[in-house]
Amino acid sequence: MRFESLRESLLKGGIAPRHVRRYLAELTEHLDDLTEKQRAQGYDREDAELRARALLGEDRELAAAMLEQKSLRSITARVPWAIFGILPPFAATAAMLVPLGVLVMTGKVLGFLEKGAARPHWFELLATATAACANLVFFPLASVLFVALVARHRLSITWALVAVAIPLLLFLHSVAEFTIPGHPGIHIGVGMAPIFLPKGWKTATADWPIVTAQYVLALLPLVWLARRRLTAR
Amino acid sequence: MPSESALAAGLSELMVLRLLCEQEMYGYEIVQAIAARTRQVLTPGEGVIYPLLHALEKDRLLKSRRKTVVGRSRIYYSLTARGAKRLSAMTDHWSALTGAVGAVLHAV
Repeated sequence: MRFESLRESLLKGGIAPRHVRRYLAELTEHLDDLTEKQRAQGYDREDAELRARALLGEDRELAAAMLEQKSLRSITARVPWAIFGILPPFAATAAMLVPLGVLVMTGKVLGFLEKGAARPHWFELLATATAACANLVFFPLASVLFVALVARHRLSITWALVAVAIPLLLFLHSVAEFTIPGHPGIHIGVGMAPIFLPKGWKTATADWPIVTAQYVLALLPLVWLARRRLTAR
Repeated sequence: MPSESALAAGLSELMVLRLLCEQEMYGYEIVQAIAARTRQVLTPGEGVIYPLLHALEKDRLLKSRRKTVVGRSRIYYSLTARGAKRLSAMTDHWSALTGAVGAVLHAV
């Protein structure tokens, strides 16, 4: 592929991938124009291409010109600690709260949360499915997204590890009983059990198969990235 | 006083803004136009014009769009209102600067 080493230099230098993509596209078009001009001046195809490539500039110069423009650096490259250290716990919280909110709203609208109201089996099933989804889909999905971000921006694998480990430690397992305010008798089986709270350990021990699956699924993308990096060396 | 590299960078920006205030152009056209108008005195590196164009667009001085002309798809750049203001300010500054340098060079 044309400009492959330039692409790597720019991504490693922190230039936003969309600017890298566009720069390479523009350079390719520019090179085609220069080649056409050389051909028009009478050079054969091979010579024209060589002359055009020389006119375009060396990869080193092309990379330096782009890296000089600090405004073209990606946010991920500028503040990786915020993206991979601070964002994941908030994203995990939101990922938990959104389905929980939907569940509570569904219960309220359908009147299942009224005092003395009977909750149908499907509603409890929905609560359990939401919890399972939070454990086995959200965390692994978040892990895939952060690992993809690290891979795309050619960042150190440590950042991916940080992004995956923090939510796993903070919100170890997503089965805990929640009491609906104003309805002390009703519990919903979705929530967060931070590892540093006694309840977290208890839940983790009791539901070890789910916790193990959660960890394995969340760590798989990291293993993939580590293998990919080792193979590339 | 601006450093030599700052002066060169400012000069490139000024020329790009000036050319694009006349009509929208793509990178290759801009490089050719600068070389032609300065009678080859200033020949910006063929490939290094793009980082400047991206940065100016990021500062909202330029805008771009992909356009297909004669079967070739290219990214065309044009000046924004903000870019026009910047061009006006830079032109004034450049005129004052060249006037001042001229006064020193031609002083008897």
